[in-house]
Amino acid sequence: MSKPALLSLHQALRKSFQGLESNQKVWSDVLAECSPLMVSLGNLAEQWRALSNVQLSNTPLRDFPDLEERLRFKLVQATDTVLCKLNGKMSSLQSVRDSISNQVSAVFQLYEENTDSLDLLTVTERSVTAPSLSDMLEWLQDAERHYREQYPFCSCSHWVGFSFYSGSVFPQVMFRFLRRKTLLQTLRADDLSLLESAPKRWKSFESPSAEDRITDTLCKVSFFIKS
Amino acid sequence: MEGQSGDIAVTSANRKCSAVTGSARKIKDNAADWHNLMMRWEKLNEEGFDVAGNIVNMRLTHSRSDQLLVDESSLPTSASSTLWQPTGGAPELQDECCKLQNVINKMGVVVTKMERLMTSQRAVQDLEEFQFGPEGRKFPLFHSWNTKLFEESSRALLESFCQELKLKQLILQELAHTVTSDLCMVFLSCWLHQPFIPPQTRLMLEALLLETGHRPL
Repeated sequence: MSKPALLSLHQALRKSFQGLESNQKVWSDVLAECSPLMVSLGNLAEQWRALSNVQLSNTPLRDFPDLEERLRFKLVQATDTVLCKLNGKMSSLQSVRDSISNQVSAVFQLYEENTDSLDLLTVTERSVTAPSLSDMLEWLQDAERHYREQYPFCSCSHWVGFSFYSGSVFPQVMFRFLRRKTLLQTLRADDLSLLESAPKRWKSFESPSAEDRITDTLCKVSFFIKS
Repeated sequence: MEGQSGDIAVTSANRKCSAVTGSARKIKDNAADWHNLMMRWEKLNEEGFDVAGNIVNMRLTHSRSDQLLVDESSLPTSASSTLWQPTGGAPELQDECCKLQNVINKMGVVVTKMERLMTSQRAVQDLEEFQFGPEGRKFPLFHSWNTKLFEESSRALLESFCQELKLKQLILQELAHTVTSDLCMVFLSCWLHQPFIPPQTRLMLEALLLETGHRPL
């Protein structure tokens, strides 16, 4: 059993949990900022749908021959603005996720470097204030996985194919979502329905229970962090 | 504002600002008026959008209940045609329509003022032609625009707003009589996004303000 290894691992865990705490806050703040944008996107989708359902030449608006084109242009512009803002939020979420991943993998690297000197008893032993090493490592991994799994919703950015942006902000996930993206690019007429379903899909990515678990974890380690 | 420019380093920009007279004065004031009128229009547009939204909501809830009644009356057993009450909510609807009319009247006033600006701009141009001949003055009044350019930009701005006003008047006429929700949505969409006022309008205003020295270079 090696005391220094345990100590340095504790130190790393403490840092990692602190990072998790602040990142969790940033994450939820950014998500909260996204909701009004998603509402706008839904509204715009509704306007697109209405415009495509109406044959303007059969309505009083026929007096304005170039109206439809002009309105479409304005709608594209408005949709673009919203998507652009969402893209910005996406990169913030991505950096949160990356920062969590980096911290967690650093802890695990440290652990693996020291596995020889950490016997089973050391790894599973816990005290009143400090949970066991194995528990804490597991929690960290769970949290990291949660944020990683949340990531697919970043594929939302690929609707951006709808307007003028590509999902280039997320080169790492490009591979994973390449199929979906290709699909989007080929099915241009389906853009509207994608846009319409976007807010709903967005909601479906929310997982309050997983967020709660992370909050629980942070409670469990609160003494440990402060010690 | 112009009077206190004595302690500011004199550059070609603000020297002209400090003591503009004649045509330059007129053009500069017109540019400021354009700015104010467009701001006023934006405010009215927001105001009108809320009212138009109310009208659509009223119409759609009513048409939905009408629809239900029609369905009922289509049943042979019910004599529910007497249930149809067109007066339900009509005063409120009338109220909102009056409000919208009011907003559009104010927008009409804005456009009339814009027309006046255009006339004044035209007059400046005419005066210049009288003074300097058809090719105009040799040196620009401000930075680089010749007088004709001011007239052209005024004309473009005026055209946008005239057209947009016509669209809004049409929306006012039709909105309360429209029952299809899609068309209502298109009307609202038109009201909100102002398709006849392209983004260039805003750029043109900024260019006008920049040229006349209202915005620092």
